[in-house]
Amino acid sequence: MESKENILKGKKITRREAISTAGKIAITAVITGVIAGVGGYLAGTSVAPPKTVTKTVTKTAAAATVTKTVTAPGTTVTVTKPTTITTTVTTSVVPTPKVELTVFSLWSGKEEENFLKALKAFTDETGIAVKHVPQTTEGLMIGLPTQFAAGASVADVVVAPWPAWIKELGEEGHIIEVTDLIDPSKYPPSYVKLVTVDGKIYAAPFKAWAKPGFWYKKSFFEKHGLTPPKTWSEFLDLLEKLKKIPGIEAPIASGDGVGWPLSDVTEAFIIGRGSPDLQRDLIEGKVTFTDPNVRGVFEDLVDLLKKGYFSVPDEWTAQIDKLWAEKYGIYFMGNWMTTMPQVKDVKDLGFFPFPETKGAVAGGDWVIVPKYTKHPEEAKKLLKFLAGPKAQEIMVRAGGFLATNVDVPAEAYTPADKAVVDFLKTVDVVPDLDDAIGGEFQRTFWDQLKLLWTSPEMLDDVLETLAEVHTKAVKKT
Amino acid sequence: MRRNITPLLFLFPALILLITFVFYPTIATIWTSFLSWRGWRSTGFAGLHNYIEVLSRSSIINLRRSFLKGPPLGALPHNIIWVVIHVPLSTFLGLLLAVLLRRVRGGFLIKSVIFLGMVIPMIVGGILLRFIYDEHAGVVNAVLRAIGLGWMARTWTAYPDTALFALIFGSVWIWTGFSMIVYSAGLEGIPEELYEAAKIDGASRLQIFRHITIPMLKPATMTVVMMTVLWVLKIFDIVYVATFGGPGRATTVLALEMYLDLFFKIPSNPGTAAAIATLLTLITLAFAVYMVRVAMVRR
Repeated sequence: MESKENILKGKKITRREAISTAGKIAITAVITGVIAGVGGYLAGTSVAPPKTVTKTVTKTAAAATVTKTVTAPGTTVTVTKPTTITTTVTTSVVPTPKVELTVFSLWSGKEEENFLKALKAFTDETGIAVKHVPQTTEGLMIGLPTQFAAGASVADVVVAPWPAWIKELGEEGHIIEVTDLIDPSKYPPSYVKLVTVDGKIYAAPFKAWAKPGFWYKKSFFEKHGLTPPKTWSEFLDLLEKLKKIPGIEAPIASGDGVGWPLSDVTEAFIIGRGSPDLQRDLIEGKVTFTDPNVRGVFEDLVDLLKKGYFSVPDEWTAQIDKLWAEKYGIYFMGNWMTTMPQVKDVKDLGFFPFPETKGAVAGGDWVIVPKYTKHPEEAKKLLKFLAGPKAQEIMVRAGGFLATNVDVPAEAYTPADKAVVDFLKTVDVVPDLDDAIGGEFQRTFWDQLKLLWTSPEMLDDVLETLAEVHTKAVKKT
Repeated sequence: MRRNITPLLFLFPALILLITFVFYPTIATIWTSFLSWRGWRSTGFAGLHNYIEVLSRSSIINLRRSFLKGPPLGALPHNIIWVVIHVPLSTFLGLLLAVLLRRVRGGFLIKSVIFLGMVIPMIVGGILLRFIYDEHAGVVNAVLRAIGLGWMARTWTAYPDTALFALIFGSVWIWTGFSMIVYSAGLEGIPEELYEAAKIDGASRLQIFRHITIPMLKPATMTVVMMTVLWVLKIFDIVYVATFGGPGRATTVLALEMYLDLFFKIPSNPGTAAAIATLLTLITLAFAVYMVRVAMVRR
């Protein structure tokens, strides 16, 4: 009994010792965990050595001929003898990993479907696989610069519609200069100029788009005896007639999202009720939003807002559904409207230009290659392909796409796109205001227009805020 | 010697985590706020320049508007409005629901439904709010129409005078589940003897509630108020998803402005973003310290 107690006593440990031991175990576990984690991370990120494959090839050239020419002074004799040669070659081949480029763009749905056709043509031509990952506006605008700041890029090639943004990235040294990769004479000069800084071109023009005017459902207009207006007073009459149609929530649909659809229709007012030069002057900072001419344009817009002609802004694609459901009469949108899945019958879709306008906004999508791509050569090949006539013709034939490359044949266009192209030939084409200035101005412009749409009485506040941000932005650019 | 080291060894894992995830980022953020930046590259010491720039912005404090005129007042006043409306409302509603559902059969089921708001991610909550307040599809306007107030129907988040309040009330709906659960737990901890003694002494239900329940729930109230204030001060996700700070910055808050400075500007401005973050930290810290001191004095 005594001996048993002694044994147990001998095994007893104090509370302090127990806690101390537990603490040591915990610390050891933490340190081990940290070491294992760091080790695991390093092991995971280290590149596995390429696998070498040794090939032994034995070739037998049966009945091959060896020709020997003997030249004697004045004569030439040729002797041909049949022979058999057996050679054994042992080579070590390091298989090159299959390259797959990742492309980011804002396109989804039908636009993505069409873009994939062009990418497939590239893969067929070069053997380089391409994966397309559609992005949201915020995802591309925010996500990409964040990756660049960390010295990385998930995308090898990016298609983006913001030239000011591209120029900033170029100046920051985040994207590859493409001056030697494209021939500027193959594109409208403005498309190259917009992405050029100090003679360095940072992007290849790919898509051109235009914001030609208001889209409407032809059958709806026919049903109610409406005709596309040509003058401002006819336009006002149309809005009044639309407002009185039962079931109509508002004559004009207002698209929302991050805000660009509102800026598009506002710019149509600046160009149509002002002039194309007024838009250019705003881009170049020669005038600002408190200028009487700009104010006059906004007063026209506010007048329509106050009369309830515009709907409350809502998600822009949902508004196409409602246009088709005849809740709205007309919708100001770009030429990509013809590819939207919400348009149930593209033949029933018509457009008319902003009344009495002398200009229209056209913009584009440019291709850039991040400096941090792991496949710069392949990415450059894709950039050149997309900027070339072959890829652009594929896109043009698919519809909803205007080419920037002048070598794309005119007959490739669909009738709907042809109508837009023909219209653009008759007007002064100007750049998109907020895309050209970019940065904080763009976000403020979108946001302030949302405010104006629901509170038109705050016009003074809106114009002052816009003037403040605009002045800073154009000074910087 | 050994006795002195042992407590430190116990602190070691927690200290590592604190240093890595709290102390270092905090100090780095404060330091960042005193530097000038070109994109992500620091170009030198800026002193208080970033703070002056931030505080002179109309998006942070809009001097053109007053409280009477309504939003947009700037991110800082908006944060204050959030605290002033959200904290008392969610605290009171949580208490009310906890008391009302305490002895109700199936009360746990109702509590679970109310607590669902806390379970859903805030991003989803923000999207839900967009639908809830929609003019045509929203439940709020459906209710208004049902009770004959259809003339009031509108997209509540689209108008500057209602958007901020719409978000705050939406957030109260999401957050009330938390305060209700804390109060429910607090109510369970009050001894029954106190209620029995009060009843014997002839106290009315209101007197019992005022003189027993509320004082006994003070620790729970402290927790609810502190957590709610901290949550409201750093509010971001609901605003980001539901309105993105608009229309016309009528719903912007400090956390969103910080995010925009860092990620939505090209080039990014880590200096001003860090200055906003530091200001937000100071405000939060001041409140937290005050609450902790009040709690300690009571103890």
